[in-house]
Amino acid sequence: MPPSVESEAPPLARASLRALFYEFLKISLLGFGGGIALARRAVVERRRWLSDTDFVDALTLCQFMPGPNVVGIAVCVGTKTRGLAGALTAFAGFAAVPGAIGFTLALLYLGQTQIPLVQNILSGISAAAAGLMIGTGLRLLRPHRRDPRIITFAALAFGGLAIAKFQLLLLLLVLAPLSVAATVITGAKPR
Amino acid sequence: MSPLGRMTLYLGLMSSISFGGIPSVLPGIRDFVVMTNGWLTDRDFANFLALAQTIPGPNMILMMGLIGWKVAGFIGAIAGASATAVPPCTMYFIGYRLWDRFRDAAWQKIARASLAPLTFGLVVAGGTVMAQTADKSWVAIGISAAAAALLLATRLNPLWLLGAAGALGALGLV
Repeated sequence: MPPSVESEAPPLARASLRALFYEFLKISLLGFGGGIALARRAVVERRRWLSDTDFVDALTLCQFMPGPNVVGIAVCVGTKTRGLAGALTAFAGFAAVPGAIGFTLALLYLGQTQIPLVQNILSGISAAAAGLMIGTGLRLLRPHRRDPRIITFAALAFGGLAIAKFQLLLLLLVLAPLSVAATVITGAKPR
Repeated sequence: MSPLGRMTLYLGLMSSISFGGIPSVLPGIRDFVVMTNGWLTDRDFANFLALAQTIPGPNMILMMGLIGWKVAGFIGAIAGASATAVPPCTMYFIGYRLWDRFRDAAWQKIARASLAPLTFGLVVAGGTVMAQTADKSWVAIGISAAAAALLLATRLNPLWLLGAAGALGALGLV
């Protein structure tokens, strides 16, 4: 595995459709809610299809649009690397194929959702998945830790959603204009 | 309109306004399919939700597929899953193309510099909200904290962390 660099941009690699399909299939089947962590690991660090900045960019766009956000990451990464064909391939890997498998499993298991062992395994996995998501957010934030503007708005978004429990759309409608104003006023250097 | 048509239209509408993910419109969907139309019982709805969360993969798309299956069989399942996935994915695709095309525009540099901090905060918050539901014991809280710390401090593959946590769960320790 190549060493990953956080501050400098390593040369990006070209994505094959097969690899796009395979990576997003894996993220979907093994993610259990920690999909963003696995996606960043695969797309930025391991495959080097996108820079960290591009990844944040796609993530930001997905946050501001409706729908299942992690599917959005798949579509955006596919679009960025291989256009429409890439988007469809990543979608097939992330949603269509696992969805079809899952549907078949669901019909087989319908009515026996309370298998204790499965429940126990899931309670462990979902705790880890939650932690992975927290870790990914902090990791994305880490290169900017000396920038008071970025830290302040990250903290406001965190507090508004996780502590004050505002509706996401409402929170964004309030914070986005304030954040734009702060960027313009402080003359922050855009990446 | 047929139940299939009404369901597809309604799910398509809901997925198109589901800022923050499908769970944000789940209460509305429940009202529509259980209360208004009686296509499912409340118990069906709860079972489908638990089942969808148990099965790996895109769980909300699967959940809507199961609802569709209950409404109109196999065709209903395809319609329900598509109504959930296709409108947002079309928007992601078009949105990303536009966003990428104007990536060097001055307005977008400001937008990017302003919105990225909110994304960082929202990802951490998303994980925290997940932890608030998932962590029912001190061991679970410890697992979440350890997973976050290890992801930050090491290059360990996150899959190992998920696997180890699943094993602790299987032993009944969580």
